[in-house]
Amino acid sequence: MNLYEFEGKKLFQKHGIAIPHGVVVRRGDDIVATYAQLNREEVVVKAQVLSGKRGKNNGIRFCSTAEEVEKAVNELFGIQIKGQYVAVVRIEEKLSIAEEHYLSIIYDTNTKQPVLVYSSEGGMDIEDVASSKIIKLPLDVRTKEVKLLTDIDINIDINIIQNLWSCFFSEDARLVEINPLVKTSDGQWVAADAKVALDDDAFYRHSTEAQEKAKEKGLDPASITKWDEFEPRTMLGRLPTERELAVKKIDEGEGYYRGTAGKYIEMDGDIAILFSGGGASIANMDALIKEGLQPANYTEYSGNPPREKVYQLAKIVLSKPGLRGLWVAGGVANFTNIEETFHGIVDALDELKPAYPIVVRRAGPYEEEGMKLMRECAKRNGLNMKLFGKEMSMSESVKVLTNIINV
Amino acid sequence: MSFLLQQHTSVLIQGITGKEGQKAAKAMFEYGTNVVCGVTPGKGGQEVEGKPVFNSVTEAKQQYPDVSVSAVYVPPFAAKAAILEAIDTDIPLISVIVERIPIKDTAYCLAAAKEKNIRIIGPSSLGFIVPGVGRIGVVGGPKELCDQVFQLGSIGLISRSGGMTNEVAWQIRKAGLGQSAAVHVGGDLLMGTTYADLLKEFEQDENTKAVVIFGEHGGSYEFEIVDLIKSGGFTKPLAIYIGGKFANLFPEGMNIGHAGAIVGRGQSAEEKEVVLKEVGVMIAERYEDLVTLVAPFA
Repeated sequence: MNLYEFEGKKLFQKHGIAIPHGVVVRRGDDIVATYAQLNREEVVVKAQVLSGKRGKNNGIRFCSTAEEVEKAVNELFGIQIKGQYVAVVRIEEKLSIAEEHYLSIIYDTNTKQPVLVYSSEGGMDIEDVASSKIIKLPLDVRTKEVKLLTDIDINIDINIIQNLWSCFFSEDARLVEINPLVKTSDGQWVAADAKVALDDDAFYRHSTEAQEKAKEKGLDPASITKWDEFEPRTMLGRLPTERELAVKKIDEGEGYYRGTAGKYIEMDGDIAILFSGGGASIANMDALIKEGLQPANYTEYSGNPPREKVYQLAKIVLSKPGLRGLWVAGGVANFTNIEETFHGIVDALDELKPAYPIVVRRAGPYEEEGMKLMRECAKRNGLNMKLFGKEMSMSESVKVLTNIINV
Repeated sequence: MSFLLQQHTSVLIQGITGKEGQKAAKAMFEYGTNVVCGVTPGKGGQEVEGKPVFNSVTEAKQQYPDVSVSAVYVPPFAAKAAILEAIDTDIPLISVIVERIPIKDTAYCLAAAKEKNIRIIGPSSLGFIVPGVGRIGVVGGPKELCDQVFQLGSIGLISRSGGMTNEVAWQIRKAGLGQSAAVHVGGDLLMGTTYADLLKEFEQDENTKAVVIFGEHGGSYEFEIVDLIKSGGFTKPLAIYIGGKFANLFPEGMNIGHAGAIVGRGQSAEEKEVVLKEVGVMIAERYEDLVTLVAPFA
C-alpha cells in the first residue's frame, strides 16, 4: 500500500524525523479555519496523491493569505494529478531552504537487500539526477543499526539515516523516500516530502489485532501503526468504486489464507474478465487488448479458492452495467480444482443469467466435472456460452469471443 | 538438471502435517521424488504417507543426514524461522512454496543463505520438476495430468508464474517436444534464484538445447539476462515472453499481477523486450509462440 504524503510524514515523525508544521483538509472542511489553526502566514498547499510529479503537474501552490489558500485548495480538489484523484490537501509552513538533498531506502533486486540512496541534488526526480551524483549504500536487513559499509561522503545528519532506517525496518516498508530533505537556513534538517510504500504481506504485524497482541505481551501498543485504519485508496483518478471495495472484503478475515479472490480493478471497457492466476491474467489482458476488445475490469483469482469466494467475486464482476461479453480464462491448472471454482462462477451465472456471449478456456484437475457444470448451467439458462479446454490456447479463445461480438 | 534434483536426492518437507504440506507430500511421492521425512514443531513422532515427522530440522538431519533439499510449506508468519532452520542445518537447496512472506523476512533469509552458499528457490514458488526424475512441490498437478504435460526433453522452462509454468509446459508438449526441467521462480519482488542463475545451470546441462522464459512487467531481473549473455555466460537459444503490456494503462507504482509486477519506469514489458532483442533473445508475441521460436533448435 502506498501512503499519502501526510500519512508518510506522520510515520517519519514517529521515528524522530522532523517534518514541517502542517494540517490537512478534505472536501467539505472549513479551509480558512484550518489555515488559521496552522498559525503560519507563508504556506505550501499540496495535493495528496499516491505518486507522480506533483510539482511539475501544478499540484503544489505557494500562498500567503487565507483567500489564496482557499482558492488553491478548491482548485486542487477540482483537478487530477497525472490521472490521480486528489483525496486530501495538505497545508504546511513554507520552509526557509538552504540546501535540498535526496534520501531513500528501497529494496535492491541485485543485492536482494535494502539499499540507501543519497544525493546532494534533492528536489528533483531521482531518475533525472546524473548517476555520478547518486550514492548507493548497501544495507543489511539483519542489523537494526545502520552500518555504513563503505566510506562515503554523505553530508547529512547521520541520525536522519538511522531514523529513516528504523522507520523502514519497524514499519515494514518497501520504500521510504525523503525528497527533498531540506536543511533550513537556521540549520535544521526537515523532511519536506514523504513517499512511503508499505508491504501488504506484513499487514498481520500492523493491525488492530497486532496491537491487542502487543498489549497482552506488555509491549507498547502505540508503537504499532494500525494499517486497517488507513482510508481506502486507489492510484487511479477516482475514488475506489463500490465494486472494488466489495471485492477487497472477499479475502479479508477468515478467508485470508484460502486462496485469493480479492483482486478487482474497474476499467472503462465492456468485456467482463474472470482470470485464474497472476501470470495468465497479465498474458490474457494483453491478448484481449490486442484483439481490440476493451476490458471492463482486471480480475484474477488463484491458489484454489473455495466455491463461495469465487461466487462472490463472479457476482460482483458480472454486476457492472453495460457488459457485452465475459471471458473466463485460465491455464492448465496444477492443483486448482476446476469443478470447485467453476461452481462459484455457475452460482453467479444462475443468478444473473447474462444475455451476452461467454467464452471459457480452462484445464486442470476435475476439468471434466467443471465443464459439465458450465454446460448444464448454459443449457438451463439459455446462455450463449462456448467452452474450451487445453486443446486451444488462451489467446486463441479470446478470438472466438471477438468473432461472436463482432458478428 | 542434476543440480536441482537427481533420482536419489533425499527430500525433507517442512510443514508436512499441514493441509498443503500433506498434499505436496502425496504429489511428490506419486511422482517418485525421494521424500524421506518431514518436520512440524510439536508433531514429532507422527507419520505422513508413511514417513516420519520430526520436531525440528536438526532432529530430522540426525536421522537422515543426506537430506539435500527442503520444501517449505508453513504459514507466512512462520516462514522466516523455518527457512533459517534449514539454512542453519546446511541444507543446500531450499524450495520456498510459502506465499505472502513479508519482504523483510525474505531479505533476511536470502542474506543468511547467501553467506552459506545455499540456494533458495522462491518464495511464492510452486516448486520445480525434472520430468521423469522427480518434482518438488505440486508442479504439473495430479500424476495423470502431469504425465500429459511433462515429458523429459530438451527445452528448459523458467516461469515467473506457477500456473503459466504448467501452461507453457503444455504448449511445449503439444508441439511434440519435452522439457529438461521446469522451474517456477515465484512472483515476488525478491527472488532467491533468478532467471540468470538458472540460465547458467541450463547452459551446463547437456540435455538442454534451448530455454523459454515466461516473464512479466516490473522488476529488473530480465536485465540480468542481458548482462549474462553479453559476458558469454549463456549461449543457447533463448525465447522470452513478457506479459503486462497493458500495465501502462495504469499509473507508475501500481501493482498489477504478482507482488513483483509493479508498474515502473524502465521496467515495462516493452523496455525489457528491446534490450533482450539486442542481445539476440527471441521475443514471443504470445506465450504459445515461445515453443514455436525454439522448436527448430530442440
